[in-house]
Amino acid sequence: MSDIIKRFIPFASLVALCILIAALEPRFLSGGNLAGVARQTAVITIIAMGMTMVMVSGGIDLSVGSILALSGVVGAFAMVSGAPIIAGVVAAIATGAACGFLNGAAVAMLRIPPFIVTLGAMGIYRGIVLLLTDGKAVVGVPTNFGRLAEGSLLGILPVPLLIVLLVALGTHFLLVKTQPGRYCYAIGSNIEATRYAGVRVSRYQVLFYTVLGALSGLAGSIESARLVTGQPTAGEGYELRVIAAVVIGGGSLSGGQGTVIGTIIGSLIMGVLANGANLLGISSFAQQVVIGAVIVIAVTFDEFQRRRIEAASA
Amino acid sequence: MRHITKAFSGNSVLEDVNLVAFAGEVHALVGENGAGKSTLMKILSGAYRPDGGEIIIDGVQTRFSRPADALAKGIAMIYQELSLAKHLSVAENIFLGREPLAFAPLRIINQREMNNRASQVLSGYGFNIDPRTRIANLGAADRQLVEITRATLEANRVLVMDEPTSSLTSREVEELFRLIRNLKQNGIAIIYISHRLEELESIADHLTIIRDGRVVYTGHWGEIPRSAMIRHMAGRELKEIFPIRHSYPGETRLRVEGLSREGKFSDVTFEARAGEVVGIAGLAGAGRTELVEAIFGVSAASTGQVFVNDKPVDSLKPDVAVGKGLGFLTEDRKQAGLCLNLSLSQNLTLANVRALVRHWKLDRKLELGAARESIERLRIRPANPDKTIARMSGGNQQKVLLGRWLFAGSKIFLLDEPTRGVDVAARAEIYRAINELVESGAAVVMVSSDLPELLGMSDRILVMRRGRLVAELNAKTTTQEEVLTYAAVAEAEQSEVQIATEIS
Repeated sequence: MSDIIKRFIPFASLVALCILIAALEPRFLSGGNLAGVARQTAVITIIAMGMTMVMVSGGIDLSVGSILALSGVVGAFAMVSGAPIIAGVVAAIATGAACGFLNGAAVAMLRIPPFIVTLGAMGIYRGIVLLLTDGKAVVGVPTNFGRLAEGSLLGILPVPLLIVLLVALGTHFLLVKTQPGRYCYAIGSNIEATRYAGVRVSRYQVLFYTVLGALSGLAGSIESARLVTGQPTAGEGYELRVIAAVVIGGGSLSGGQGTVIGTIIGSLIMGVLANGANLLGISSFAQQVVIGAVIVIAVTFDEFQRRRIEAASA
Repeated sequence: MRHITKAFSGNSVLEDVNLVAFAGEVHALVGENGAGKSTLMKILSGAYRPDGGEIIIDGVQTRFSRPADALAKGIAMIYQELSLAKHLSVAENIFLGREPLAFAPLRIINQREMNNRASQVLSGYGFNIDPRTRIANLGAADRQLVEITRATLEANRVLVMDEPTSSLTSREVEELFRLIRNLKQNGIAIIYISHRLEELESIADHLTIIRDGRVVYTGHWGEIPRSAMIRHMAGRELKEIFPIRHSYPGETRLRVEGLSREGKFSDVTFEARAGEVVGIAGLAGAGRTELVEAIFGVSAASTGQVFVNDKPVDSLKPDVAVGKGLGFLTEDRKQAGLCLNLSLSQNLTLANVRALVRHWKLDRKLELGAARESIERLRIRPANPDKTIARMSGGNQQKVLLGRWLFAGSKIFLLDEPTRGVDVAARAEIYRAINELVESGAAVVMVSSDLPELLGMSDRILVMRRGRLVAELNAKTTTQEEVLTYAAVAEAEQSEVQIATEIS
């Protein structure tokens, strides 16, 4: 019973928020504006899918913004030197996956807290991309590459939204329907117990971080397509927006909890808030205050819910 | 406590409960898991507020809104789940919130004074613990003793002990009882919650039995026989707690040769055959848990060899062990057994998720089928595969963990304190399940500090003392005295052994 309410509340908040903004500013509901929201939130949502997986398993990755920049730049380099667009995207995903693999391996093998490992990785990857580009944007990518961010399918469905849907379906399937997904929740719930059950825990931890890295690489491609350059400073601060999306959607920093649907709603709540504030002419500075407050309220609510359940089981 | 009532989200947990504890007496509070004992005590200690009823202390009606209020009235509680700060020292924990200060205005702690006083108190109680040790470096038994020590310093009216002996050995239990008798003489009322009726025999003055949130019996200890107590607790007759097993040892399943680990155990050799239960007895710190952990590959042994079905097993890790048909029921369910966020069925299938995969995905029907089968076989309650495991009683959680290894098809079971914190009725069912396993050809190695359980369930009993196997006894012919003599003779004086064996 309480589980149903818990799942419903973020969704109800999103709907209420949309109704409120639409009432104040009808332009919010125009197709163009909604497509814009979808495009703006796509990058964060894609990374947040991977982050959901990593956080459900009890981990965290602060380096996703840096991975995004590094993969975007590597993909841009590939395309500038003559590789086809698809190869550029694959190169970006592969770069992201490699970074994620290293993060996962460090977390699993060295048994160092993921917060620390990826705090270091955040600096390392950002430094590498700045060194590679000397701090300058990589220009000269094919013009068609921009379609990855700005194009539409059949003239209505934005390409980034399509990618978000595919990634979300894949992640949901993985988490809910597969053996690695089951282990993900088990590891996040109790890593020792899962190890004692004969599960090779480190192998799965590496898998989850690698998938997150690959998705950050994919997001890096979309981000470069949007900017039509490879930006070494892209994605700064994204890690916190991604983590916020997971947390607002009911994911737990201590692991074992989180869903794809919740995270999408969390990401949309932040996207709609930002968009609505823009439409209503609220300054971007005030927006930060609002989003910060939303995070605290969402987590507080979750925490109260959890305590009530625990009290009832005592 | 008068007419106490409490409900959680509409479910009534306590109904019109009365409890009177007198100064200088031990009041035993018994009942099955989930009967409401812990909730009642949490109300007394101020952790919960009652929906109705009143608490009267020395004739004065009192209201607690937080644990600090109860502490201020001299009511202290020793929790079943330990509540120590792991990274602090023993002395720091004992004096937490009441640190002796060297310079009061700046709140500077007088470290030396604190350690000295802690050391005095601990040795006065006969506990051999260095006050400067960090809690993280202590075993479960020592942690419990620290917790008890802290509570006794806080309590000057009422001390509540919730299963205080669950991780203590018989000898430590005897020390605890001596301490309880001291506290009684100082006029403290003690409320003692336990499942172990045997141990209450030697200390209880009054008895209250709770079932399903109601008091079903209250009176002086000894007015009703133990069989009647069990009947009151369970609401039905428990004919035999240790059912008879029809099995004959067959081929060797597990053989351990010369297994050693620096500082923990050395040169351990034994075998367990299909169709038998090998009990391992010993005091806390004898290396029993470390031994089974090494057999399961949790921590590597430095020398020696483990053989499964006569084949040597190399580079032993939990995943390898599970692959060879071993299952390990750990001493601490919450720390290394349960995934509390997950459901009954998800916990049950965790060691064999592969069996649920059809066409690349988990098959919900297979999972439900597995859960229903185990629920029926082990009589798990509530019989709901989707129930969150955190919301089930300790006994039923333990059955789920046993079911996990059944579903994984384990043939060799390592059980470490399998009935710790489990109520009488659930215990009997766990024993019955173990017997079924053994009858179907499994080999069981059971570590236990509960001597009646070891004697009742084992075929052979191996006794460990300070990391070595010192005796192998036939469980049918040996006695508790004999087991204890081997387990303790080097450290305990003979007289103490005798006292400990009088409990039965």
